Amino acid sequence: MKHESNDQTKWLCDKCQRELELAKVKVRYMEGNFEVDLMKCPTCNQVFIDEALALGKMKEVEEGLEDK
Amino acid sequence: MKQIIATTKSLCPVCLKKINAIIWSKNKETYMEKSCPEHGRFKALLWRGSMPMEKWVRNKIPATIEKPNTQVDKGCPYDCGLCADHRQHTCTALIEVTQRCNLSCSFCFADANGSSVPDLTIDTIASMYTSVMETSGNCNIQLSGGEPTLRDDLPQIIELGHQIGFSFIQINTNGIRLGEDEAFVKRLKAAGLNSVFLQFDGTNDGIFEKLRGKPLLATKIKALENCRKYNIGVVLVPTLVSEVNDDDLGNIINFGLDWVPTVKGVHIQPASYFGRIPNLPVEEKRLTLGDIMDRIEDQTAGRIRKKSFSPPGCENARCSFHGNYILKENNELISVNNPANCCGNEQAEEGANKTKAHVSRKWRSNELTTEKNCNISHENTEKDEWDEILERINRYSFSLSAMAFQDVWNLDLNRVKDCCIHVVNPKGQLIPFCMYNLTDKNGHSLYRKQ
Repeated sequence: MKHESNDQTKWLCDKCQRELELAKVKVRYMEGNFEVDLMKCPTCNQVFIDEALALGKMKEVEEGLEDK
Repeated sequence: MKQIIATTKSLCPVCLKKINAIIWSKNKETYMEKSCPEHGRFKALLWRGSMPMEKWVRNKIPATIEKPNTQVDKGCPYDCGLCADHRQHTCTALIEVTQRCNLSCSFCFADANGSSVPDLTIDTIASMYTSVMETSGNCNIQLSGGEPTLRDDLPQIIELGHQIGFSFIQINTNGIRLGEDEAFVKRLKAAGLNSVFLQFDGTNDGIFEKLRGKPLLATKIKALENCRKYNIGVVLVPTLVSEVNDDDLGNIINFGLDWVPTVKGVHIQPASYFGRIPNLPVEEKRLTLGDIMDRIEDQTAGRIRKKSFSPPGCENARCSFHGNYILKENNELISVNNPANCCGNEQAEEGANKTKAHVSRKWRSNELTTEKNCNISHENTEKDEWDEILERINRYSFSLSAMAFQDVWNLDLNRVKDCCIHVVNPKGQLIPFCMYNLTDKNGHSLYRKQ
């Protein structure tokens, strides 16, 4: 993956050289399945999660599901 | 063939002297046997069920009590306070704010009644809070009794706890006043009450009549309605007694799920034989954690599976089990437990910290979530699927747990040393819950009423 920094941030899949597209992706955490929009390579289906999401809402979800 | 699992120390049920005990298993049942030179042999059922007790483990590296309140002198369990030999910090500190009660239950660990014991003064409660803060820091507080809602100044007691620095305060109540006095519920909420531990033994009045002496279901439902109105999280707490309500577990859980998000979970307490009890234990009729796990799976038709339960990271593994779930929009219940005991020994202190945070997060109402949702609804464009997932997690989480208190018959002092539920006495000392309530065969206490 490489990051092209311009206003309309686009992401390319390094392996397939295809532009990532927003698509419905199934996220599984423990027994929970959730469907969310994420950037995905249309060829190899590799998903990209940006830092803001990983450290933001995704982290919040993970913490909310944490056991004692 | 009997297989010896462990040796430990226990107490003689007659003289409360410390004696040796062995723990052995045979055919999915585990027993403790012990012998007092003066009073003879005793045998108690510890565990029964498809999950063997020896597999219910979660090893911990003991915590160190930095500021013990008492010296080690006679040895566990005679020096409670906490002493330096104790192996776990306080997760929940209980303060019995009154010994008065508006019920006269057949089972009552506190042996509360129309007692003439005066209520604790506000000054005494303040010094108890302060002592807990010094010894255990910002742990979770449970205000108990007797029936704490009989005190008109309960809101003031809650405010005081928050002022001293406790962020999670729960009341342990039969719910009668919460059902009958909405204005009082409003005052409790305004004072910062975070959670209600609601005695809830079953889904029909026959159960309440047997255990509590009167039909109470309608009152409990009214209490739930008032808690819903003022956004106070509720945990349903059945005292489980064999042949009284052990066949109603599935109904209680389904009832709780119907009341999500007001109801945050069900916490099951199998009856122990201390305090006021209707009879001495018949060992075959004891309900163990293993029994309860099996019954839950059976009575929920597999909606909740026993494989979703984990041993605790805070107290001794044999004291409890718990499972965490999320109720989805389609009423499907998904298990979200992390796999337990996968990682060798854990730090007991870390387990206590996680449990304090988890209980506080999961058993309180969701003001933050509600506020956030309001903001989101104003700025509709910013709400995405992650917000919906977060709302589900925050508002529709459901916990299911059970804690088996120890009595003088099945007492294992190794479990006592790992205890994290501590009763605060008026001197500000912290006594492990089971030790505070323990009574001998004739009803004499080890710690209570001292």
